[in-house]
Amino acid sequence: MTIQTYWQLDVAAQPARSEPSARPQAGMIFRDVRTRAINRYDYYAQIAQAAAQTAFDGLFLPHRPEADDSAIVAAVIAREVPRLTLIPEFPASIGSAVYAAKQAVSFQRATHDRLGWAIAPAADAEALDRTEEFLTVARGVHGTRPFSFSGTHFEVQGGGFEAPLNRVPFPRVFLHGESEEALALSARAADVHLFGAAPVTHLRSLIEGLDGLAAERGRSVAFGVIQSVLVREDHDEALHEAERAGVPAATIVGDYDAVAARLAELAGIGIGHFVLGAPASLEEAYHVGQHLLPRLRALTGRVCAAA
Amino acid sequence: MTIDFYWRLPTHGCHDSLRHSAYNRGDWSPPGPHNIAPGFDRNSADDGFRYIDHLAEIAKAAESAGFIGGLIPSFPNTDDPWVISPLLARETSSFRFMIAFQPGFLDPVHAARMAASLQRATGGRTVFNIITGGGGPSQLWWGDGFSHDDRYGRTTEFLNVFKGVWNGGNFSYDGRFYSVAGEGLSPLLAAEELPEIWFSGSSDAALQSAAKHADYYLSWLEPFDQLTEKFARVKERTAALGGEQKCAVRVDLVARATEEEAWRDIRIGFENVPDERRAQLRGPTDSVGAARQQALRPSEARRFDELIVAPNLWGGFNLLRGGPALGIVGSYEQCAARLDDLIARGTDAFILAGTPHLEEAYRIGEEVLPLLGRESAALLRAAE
Repeated sequence: MTIQTYWQLDVAAQPARSEPSARPQAGMIFRDVRTRAINRYDYYAQIAQAAAQTAFDGLFLPHRPEADDSAIVAAVIAREVPRLTLIPEFPASIGSAVYAAKQAVSFQRATHDRLGWAIAPAADAEALDRTEEFLTVARGVHGTRPFSFSGTHFEVQGGGFEAPLNRVPFPRVFLHGESEEALALSARAADVHLFGAAPVTHLRSLIEGLDGLAAERGRSVAFGVIQSVLVREDHDEALHEAERAGVPAATIVGDYDAVAARLAELAGIGIGHFVLGAPASLEEAYHVGQHLLPRLRALTGRVCAAA
Repeated sequence: MTIDFYWRLPTHGCHDSLRHSAYNRGDWSPPGPHNIAPGFDRNSADDGFRYIDHLAEIAKAAESAGFIGGLIPSFPNTDDPWVISPLLARETSSFRFMIAFQPGFLDPVHAARMAASLQRATGGRTVFNIITGGGGPSQLWWGDGFSHDDRYGRTTEFLNVFKGVWNGGNFSYDGRFYSVAGEGLSPLLAAEELPEIWFSGSSDAALQSAAKHADYYLSWLEPFDQLTEKFARVKERTAALGGEQKCAVRVDLVARATEEEAWRDIRIGFENVPDERRAQLRGPTDSVGAARQQALRPSEARRFDELIVAPNLWGGFNLLRGGPALGIVGSYEQCAARLDDLIARGTDAFILAGTPHLEEAYRIGEEVLPLLGRESAALLRAAE
């Protein structure tokens, strides 16, 4: 299978980097000529460039309420990386589903269809219900005219886009969440379900379960994983770096070949979308993009040939 | 004291001349060899350009020609200003993005996060044009079922919450339309300047809401005496509430080296108006502003000069393109004199436009703006 790889651009990570207000104010020996015009968005654009130049397929921007809005960041950097897919994550509580669909259409029109939607997991049954209606209405006005809908959270009459706004595909929808309800929602509404990092046997059973649920509805859902990685040329160096850096518990740590083999194993059980991330987004993008991705692509190419 | 002049980014495509109705910039008309963004390459295949590429050109032209920014309108069949602005943020440096939007479409806390993020991306170049009116079938198309006056109440509450959370900390609010419990922007986001707020709407409900929250009250061009009276009323009402209201006008210009050339373009454009465009203009609306403009009845005129309502003031622009009916037509000097007159009558800022938006941004910036203020400069000084 052809795998898709996305680098995680976490707007809340390393919050002091490239933040004008976090610069040393006084008492420094170096002459600081930086203006406030050099800011955090230059750094976001740089991460995007790093991902583009190291042949990732896209960027995944997690929703971070305390930091910059992921959809704004995605649009700000979009024209500088003309090949990358951009997947901002946002909750379904942002407002009108019609308006969200209209914004998605504008984004698609301007970027040659490079937008993906990741909807943040719902916190409760009401939010879950809203997410489902949100997607129904957004897809409805995108694909149907006239479209009418009357639900708990949204109401539309005579909706739907006219030419030329009706010519672009709807963004691929990524959902995540491990609860029974979240999996059931994905079976009904996701294009891709993203799992959190977990042992292969556990992921395999989740995949089989969700596959079955989707099949009952005559749908098929693609699978992905959000996986933190830390790779170095040799194993001990990677371990040492992981200890120094304090990585998330489920991080796969190791040398290039070993980590590529672990990820290829996931591809082997049906995972086609890899959202990879590391605490230092810029520097690690090069480690992963230059050394891990070529190995992973070679291995999954072989998996495909064997099948 | 100086006056802010904004340009406009046409979000529904543009045409290369007011003389013709076909929108051949952007993909609002069928693709062909005379279209651009997208256009044809030498093999008649899609050349890969998109309308955003043309909008980027207009924004950079406006920025370079001396405009402070541009209004980015929003209608059902336009591209969206909340997407266009961040897409163009890093290709411009001083251009302010005036985002037209209806508050009901976004959650106010989320809108505040988006706006603060855009402020951070642009160095504080976000401006809002808050729209509340419109309505009828169009409002239900958007998924918005509230009645006209309710929508103004909601706009007021939206801005209460928007500004409340922008102060950071624990903001709580319990209104008819919104309730918020202990929310606020993070210190990182709350450190940004609140975007300037421009307000539109001609009804009493609109004026009341504007008085509370608007930095600028924005009107379409109306006959000058009517506009003078309207601005005076707005300023008076706000003063009664203890505030001060600045007023702004949106107006299209056809400015040429001579008056004859300007009217010639209008005449040819008028003669080329398709019948279906006239029929469209006879449709209903529950916008008070739109109704005031339709009273001019441009769709019934048989000659272009029947629509000259005052010297250099033509009431048929909505036949040539979507938007308001009245605009200014004349030589560079005449256009400048009319704008000066509007300044003397209480206009504190402008949104100008002309077709084609790219070339006319340079023309107006180079030929008309420098002529302004010969009369009004004295008035401004007297006021200070």
